[in-house]
Amino acid sequence: MMFNILVVETTGKYDSAAVITDDGRVFCASSQTEMNHLRDIITISDEAIRKAGITKKDLTHVAASRGPGSFTGIRIGVTTARTTGQMLGIPCIGISSLESLAEGALDEAVASGALYIAPIINARRHQTYAGVWKACFTSDYEQKTLIDEMEERQYMIEELTDKLIAAASEDGGRVLFTGDGIDAYRDIIEEAFKAAGMENQLLFAGEDIRYQDAEPAARLALREAAAGRVLGYSELLPEYMRLSEAEQRLREGTLSDKIRKAGRI
Amino acid sequence: MKDGKHLTLGIETSCDETAVSVVADGREILSNIISTQIDIHTQFGGVVPEIASRRHLENINGCIDRALSEAGVSIDEIDLVGVTYGPGLVGALLIGVAAAKSIAFACDIPLVGVNHMHGHIAANYLEHHDLEPPFMSLVVSGGHTNIVNVPDYNRCEKIGGTRDDAAGEAFDKVARVIGLGYPGGPKVDKAAREGDRDAIAFKRVWLEPGSYDFSFSGLKTQALNYLNTERQAGREINVNDVAASFQEAVVEVIAEKAVCAAEEFGQKRIVMAGGVASNTRLRELISQKAAARGIDVLRPSPILCTDNGAMIASAAYYAYRAGERSGYDLDAVPALEF
Repeated sequence: MMFNILVVETTGKYDSAAVITDDGRVFCASSQTEMNHLRDIITISDEAIRKAGITKKDLTHVAASRGPGSFTGIRIGVTTARTTGQMLGIPCIGISSLESLAEGALDEAVASGALYIAPIINARRHQTYAGVWKACFTSDYEQKTLIDEMEERQYMIEELTDKLIAAASEDGGRVLFTGDGIDAYRDIIEEAFKAAGMENQLLFAGEDIRYQDAEPAARLALREAAAGRVLGYSELLPEYMRLSEAEQRLREGTLSDKIRKAGRI
Repeated sequence: MKDGKHLTLGIETSCDETAVSVVADGREILSNIISTQIDIHTQFGGVVPEIASRRHLENINGCIDRALSEAGVSIDEIDLVGVTYGPGLVGALLIGVAAAKSIAFACDIPLVGVNHMHGHIAANYLEHHDLEPPFMSLVVSGGHTNIVNVPDYNRCEKIGGTRDDAAGEAFDKVARVIGLGYPGGPKVDKAAREGDRDAIAFKRVWLEPGSYDFSFSGLKTQALNYLNTERQAGREINVNDVAASFQEAVVEVIAEKAVCAAEEFGQKRIVMAGGVASNTRLRELISQKAAARGIDVLRPSPILCTDNGAMIASAAYYAYRAGERSGYDLDAVPALEF
């Protein structure tokens, strides 16, 4: 089976696209300006396809990073992948932006001897979208596995840091943080590790691999395609990891107050 | 192309309607799929942008499929993709634009971005197959109140607009306060039919002489103050009378200004567009005033007054014929001007 997979990653500040072929070669293109996802998405997808030396008719799958991350960005990538899959009659693949960040940090984890990889995406007000993977060095190639107690979800940064400190103090493993949550919460993380006397177990990913990018997402997409984990276009859905504010209020029963106030001007 | 006809796929997602349509030669509707979210937003008392965006994403591809299958065409037979790129809610617009660009790219079909307001006017080409510019247009919807001179298919010259609230917004607000709920326009319209439009003397805001602009915020405040005063005095409020009197104050000014504009610009026709164009009393009043001055009034049927993909397809078709094309860098422009 031949694979030519188009992958779009629009959940962070910059959007990027990649084409991965079945020999694992990845051809990337990315936007040079911040938050221009909608404007640039097709242009960079086209560029990645051309770099791969194929045409869009040669694509076998289309994958999108489905979140978490910028709600707007997620929607642009997922809509583009769904519609491209629908039009070309090819299956879709959904990729977790967090797993993609962990994948992108794997080489650095291995090089620096980190056991835990913790991608954190800034969700404002001490909140973060995160998950923690454990790096494994036992086989010929590097792997990582998501830790059950620290699955992908929304965490307060303090809560996540405490969980990581507890795990790492037990086995002495080092923790590599990655993702744009570093830019927001670096001080909080550093203080917590210092207070636990574990500064030497704390690492932050370099800026070159810290942000969402289509290249590691493409490697994950190839694995998904090879394993047959594909979706029809209507099944590819965003992973916002959070309800809209209005839905939260409806659930909490605080919505009616807001509406009544709005009604009074 | 199918049977010698040029086919346009029109996509509209600027607010709370996910809509896709196939139109032949800019005039003939082959399919018109409208997936409304009104039930979802009703529980929140109005459109919640984040929820609208999420629903558009879930709905859009199914709507595209249905539009093609109901029209009995395949995507290979589509000659043009038209899409609303503004004005509207940015998160809602971008779903349509992302989908339209993906179709254009994947299938090598030309793309034209359409101004939502031009689309509302173009809805009339679908209803009245002989209608051609020039004419005067009155575009009244939830977010817009405009008088527009239309000298040809691809020019829309705004000669008057609202300085504060749109007519639809004023309806929504008053409807909410008198307990009619959302969406306000149709509910005020219905209640007003049972009420006395002279019961309460709400002011008519004409602004300075010769102006085709509108202002409804003062009227809205007057209505809210009236309701407060009555409630404080312990008097019972007749909802139907408030609706009828308030509606009259809004539509009388709109109708009069539209007719004056047509007269001044020498237009023999007024073409109504937008959701509020379905308002019963506005239609009645503008027809009376126009008839007295020898002016015809045209309007689309209610289904074409709401947001729909067919009107976008029609507007895209005429823009395309005039040589307009959008690139793959087409972006959503939430505050797009007329």
